Amino acid sequence: MNNKVIKRIIELILLLVVLSLLTFALMYLAPGDPAEKRLSSQGVAVTKEVLNAERARMGLLRPFFVRYGEWLWGIIHGDFGISFKDDMPVAPKLIKGLKNTVVLALSSLMFSLIISIPLGLVAAVKKNALIDHVVRLLSFIGNSLPNFLVSVLLMYFFCIKLNMFPIIAEGNLQGLFLPVISLSIPMIARFSRMIRTEVLTQLSEDYVTGLRLRGVKEKYILLKNVFYNSIGHIFTIIALQIGVLMGGSVVIETIFRWPGIGKLVMDSINARDYPVIMGFVIIMGTIYVGINLLSDLLNKVIDPRVEV
Amino acid sequence: MRKFNKLFALAMATTMAFSAAGCGNSAKESSESTVESNEATEQEEVVEASDEEEKTSDGDNILRTAASFAYPSLDVHKEYYGWYTSIYGLSEALFKLDETSTAVPCLAKDAVSDGTTWTITLKDNVKFSNGEPLTAEMVIKNIQRVAEINGRFDIFGTFSYEAPDDKTIVVNTGDEVYPTLKSDLASPEFGIIDLENTTDFDNDPICTGPFVITEFVPEGDVKVAKNENYWGGDVNLDGAVFYYMQEDDPKLLAMQSGEIDCYNSVSSAALEVYKQEPDKYNVVSVEGTRLQFYILNENTMDGAVRAAVNLTIDKEAIASYLEGTVTAATAPFPSSAAYSKVSIPAVDTEKAKALLEEDGYTLNADGIYEKDGQPIKLNIAYYAARSLDTLAILMQEQLKAVGIDSYLTVEEDPDSTYIANADFDLALYCMISDKCGDPLYFIDSTLADGAYYNVAGFKNDECQKMIEELRIETDSAKRAELANKIIQIAIDDNAFGYVGLFNHTTVMKPGVSGFAENIPFDFYGIDANTTK
Repeated sequence: MNNKVIKRIIELILLLVVLSLLTFALMYLAPGDPAEKRLSSQGVAVTKEVLNAERARMGLLRPFFVRYGEWLWGIIHGDFGISFKDDMPVAPKLIKGLKNTVVLALSSLMFSLIISIPLGLVAAVKKNALIDHVVRLLSFIGNSLPNFLVSVLLMYFFCIKLNMFPIIAEGNLQGLFLPVISLSIPMIARFSRMIRTEVLTQLSEDYVTGLRLRGVKEKYILLKNVFYNSIGHIFTIIALQIGVLMGGSVVIETIFRWPGIGKLVMDSINARDYPVIMGFVIIMGTIYVGINLLSDLLNKVIDPRVEV
Repeated sequence: MRKFNKLFALAMATTMAFSAAGCGNSAKESSESTVESNEATEQEEVVEASDEEEKTSDGDNILRTAASFAYPSLDVHKEYYGWYTSIYGLSEALFKLDETSTAVPCLAKDAVSDGTTWTITLKDNVKFSNGEPLTAEMVIKNIQRVAEINGRFDIFGTFSYEAPDDKTIVVNTGDEVYPTLKSDLASPEFGIIDLENTTDFDNDPICTGPFVITEFVPEGDVKVAKNENYWGGDVNLDGAVFYYMQEDDPKLLAMQSGEIDCYNSVSSAALEVYKQEPDKYNVVSVEGTRLQFYILNENTMDGAVRAAVNLTIDKEAIASYLEGTVTAATAPFPSSAAYSKVSIPAVDTEKAKALLEEDGYTLNADGIYEKDGQPIKLNIAYYAARSLDTLAILMQEQLKAVGIDSYLTVEEDPDSTYIANADFDLALYCMISDKCGDPLYFIDSTLADGAYYNVAGFKNDECQKMIEELRIETDSAKRAELANKIIQIAIDDNAFGYVGLFNHTTVMKPGVSGFAENIPFDFYGIDANTTK
């Protein structure tokens, strides 16, 4: 077990090195000049001389492997470099953005699970009943609605019509409410369907039939056996969603003024701020792979038959 | 099940801890970045007291507005941060630009040129928010600092400066006349800071403006309060809050809910909403300085085709399609400027067809003009920003209607692709045409020999001669006259097409005024006369 975990961690490190090299190469090849973006960020054209001087100052004229090597050496020593956009250190920017996004993502995840687990269970147990149709319809709608539309509709309903929240919210619990709802709606839709499918699969297993024949109560079978056996699958779903949540909440963050990492990275992509983008890729890669490893380990804890 | 319960409880506890930590830290960061300035203590109290009130902006004298951009620093001289310290009413330059793009006195009375020497006279009563008087030495140090830390103004590092007395600065520009010094000094990057007493340039620069910073969240919201020591007299507002809001819809909703009093860069969709309720919202729109234009490639298109293109492109129709966000350009500069008096031929598709036919083009079976069996097929290059994607499609349709076929090429980065290698027949571009009330920058960027955007074969000796004159002429009336002649040559040569100027559109609640709503430049906002 321990050897397997160590092997997975080594694989993770190698994966991150390959990932960083690929990302660095892609950005090197991609059109767009960080110096030009910086100097003309307000639409003012600059002369070739000024542009070239800025490129030299930013180190953009050095060979690819020198730049990559320096960046990698810095990362190994915990230095994420300096932002091309404003000369500010990258690490504090990423930490601040990541912290806010983690708050938003985990809150949304927990809220989604609290709603979707009962919905999925009920829809599975009451298969083809009215409640199942309603859950499936809502799931279909929730999955289809784009994030920005949900966000603006929620803002209009809660802030203008009901006057419950301000449009301009601060970074506190009150300000967290609408972004969490917006992020959770598609997740609830997805989770409830997946949980329903998994529970239905478990319900069709022989051991459920056996338990029923032995006269075990349906409620007990559902909660003690069926749901417990579904947890491993639910963890996998969560693990996959966390990556999506961490990187994919940019629209929500922008609309609700939530200073998360998604918004930071979108701004950085527009500005060709490569040090920030590279730092983001490394952090997200680590989180994504780390969570998948953690999910596998949790599955192993729940069900010792599972191989890590 | 017990295991699951434990895990679930752990996860919930972790989430709660993260939420609490995140929220707690947000508040902490905010307070950390709050500027503790002795001079501003009273003003801070005014602003913070107002925060205790309802979020709606009625009932106090604090202006609340939305800003589409936010920067990590308030250092006036770095990057474009001075644009925002100017908008926030913190910093002022020696001159400022008025509605007609003319540099008028602000901290300085005047600037007079005598060949390579400029003499700038400061106003007598100017002082910083800490009460320190503005001196000529301090202005010189400021100019030198801008030259040192802002690459766009490094030429100022080559000049020599003297301060014969406390209120006079003599600038010697070396061997070459530098006629745009006065208008350059109106750039917000030349906002004056008290370099002696400022200890935190990024968070709390001491400037001369009508407002002082009370809270600054890097790349976030900004709060300012009235400068009680303002040299220019009474300041109408008690303070202002600039909320960082990038998206259009939340701005519209915040305006409707009464959480903000005004903002600019209004989207066309929001504009429609505001126009329906004129008693609730006052909308002011003036031509800005951000120009949409196209370059016609003289190396790949003959004169008749270029002329036909310019006679076909209907700028009014394009502006109408863009629903109030742009005004059809009558020149590359706002029409109020003295250097925008040029004549652009009106749309005349019949004349366009006639020109092509005179040049030997005939309509083929597909309704496209061709010559020597080669149908016209223009490569329209563009990038998907500043509505240029819409422009490309509309222009393609308009050209097709007269028999000029085209295809679209979209690039991510025009400067390193079609501008760099002139690989286009018609290239769309958008840039600020007037950065500080003078035409030389745009002419130098697009029409001069070897200019960055003169990549498509435009060359005219008379034009170049006049550009050389423009580089040394110091009289503003003569400069405008020269600029008009230069631009007219480019128009007559069908080297360019000036399509639209983005409007500087401001929406305000009744009672709000003085939010730079009539100024075409993007870098002005609140000042001493702003009212709520």
